[in-house]
Amino acid sequence: MKFPGEILLGAQSQLLPPSVPYRFFMAAVVFHAASWATIIFAADEVADFNGGPGLVPAAVHALTLGVFAMTVMGALFQLLPVATGRMLRAVWPCKLVSWLYIPGVALLVYGFAIGHHHFMAAGAILTILAFLVFGFLMADVLSRTKGEMKLLVLHGWGALAALLGLTALGIAMIANQEHGFLPADVNFRLAHMIIATFGFMGMLVVGYSQILIPIFALAQAPDEGRGVKAFVLFAAVLGLTLGAVFTGNGALLTFAAAAGVGVAGFHVWTMIQVVRRGMRKNLGLSFVLIKTAWTLLPISLALGVLASTGFLGDRGAVLFIFLSLYGWLLTFLLGVLQRIIPFLAAMNASKEGQTPPRLSELAEERPLKVHAVCHFTALALISYGIVFAHELVIMAGGLAGLSGALAYLWFMLGVLRRMKNFQAREKT
Amino acid sequence: MSDCVDLPPVSGGIPVWIEGGRVHIDVRGLEPPGPLVAILELIERPETGDAPGKTVDVRLHRDPVFLYPELTERGWSWERLPASEGEVRLRLVKDSDAREI
Repeated sequence: MKFPGEILLGAQSQLLPPSVPYRFFMAAVVFHAASWATIIFAADEVADFNGGPGLVPAAVHALTLGVFAMTVMGALFQLLPVATGRMLRAVWPCKLVSWLYIPGVALLVYGFAIGHHHFMAAGAILTILAFLVFGFLMADVLSRTKGEMKLLVLHGWGALAALLGLTALGIAMIANQEHGFLPADVNFRLAHMIIATFGFMGMLVVGYSQILIPIFALAQAPDEGRGVKAFVLFAAVLGLTLGAVFTGNGALLTFAAAAGVGVAGFHVWTMIQVVRRGMRKNLGLSFVLIKTAWTLLPISLALGVLASTGFLGDRGAVLFIFLSLYGWLLTFLLGVLQRIIPFLAAMNASKEGQTPPRLSELAEERPLKVHAVCHFTALALISYGIVFAHELVIMAGGLAGLSGALAYLWFMLGVLRRMKNFQAREKT
Repeated sequence: MSDCVDLPPVSGGIPVWIEGGRVHIDVRGLEPPGPLVAILELIERPETGDAPGKTVDVRLHRDPVFLYPELTERGWSWERLPASEGEVRLRLVKDSDAREI
């Protein structure tokens, strides 16, 4: 029964068709497995990796573009409109992004793996086009907010600015392989890594944590005024770090990295306070991953400080990159994703007015336990393997990571299967 | 509103009252996750939600997407009430028979 003047906007109408976020999540889970599998084959190159195409950058880009940015796209298309209350104007551009991005990343990763410039260039073009559409969609939603969700919006703009810089630098670096026009004395790879990891992903992780962590822990959001100051500091430290990289100023880089440890420490402290205040005391396995990621964030940055002084040698830099990407970011995203996947499935399983299934009916704990054990084993083994340049240990770590990724795929397929079963039951 | 009785507010000073024999909460204007936290805090109060059939009427300015799975998990269902433009009204009801997991 409808009432005059009633807002005909149910939860389901705020949700995209499930195929939209889940195509990104499914692709991310597959690239996750691909990244670990590539490490197995690149085990002899990992510890002393020093740039150029090959299996190591293929593994890294399968992770950064295939898992991180892929997850971000699936999550933001759905959650940014829900959080800000500003809907996407159409669904088809989200599908367009997936059609460009998923094959684009596959081509790019393949191009890196075999060292083929044309595959890399073709993949880069598709990826960049997808980023442009994605960026436009996000900018459209962010620009329609009117002072609400200030922290989320600020970090969203920060991430989009980083995405723009990242894309421009990525194009320049791929073109440089063929034409060699970039100055040789600037470490563009480091700048690219910093903008991608701490600029684009860092901004999104910090911004979205302001809303997702309180939702998971059932706590009030952290103080907005303090969050704005932290954002300004975060952006300043990022700018300082990039300035140090582009000018080749080692002392400034060390200082900026040390300031980064402070900014990261403040973020982690803020999140821990949120969790402590939360009504939900049993936070489950996802928070084992999330808390581990919070621990690894300042640790990896501290390694970055030491690596910037040359104290740890070249392997120190590799360990810094590994722990930042696989330790902090991947662990955090997988922890968050294991909460979001069943939540969206619950909301998509039922029609307007029907009671959705319980989250516990959709999400199986066993594959997540297997994943967590394998993931932590992989992190420990590969870290050890990098420090001691032990190829077999790195290979074993890659195998553990791959096993964990397959367990995660099992979890995801299980959620989707239960969602379909629930929908079929509700129809009869 | 002669039968309106104020109850202790939930965290953040969100007003809660009894009107027409039902518990009411107004979370309009709160940004996420404020409404979610306030509503769950209210229904988890022993005096609000222990007995089947207990109801809470909620006024929001936006559909609380994150709330529904949490309600289901706690054995509450909901129905939409008529509301003016820019407002969402829900009646939350404690289920008498929890679904088997």
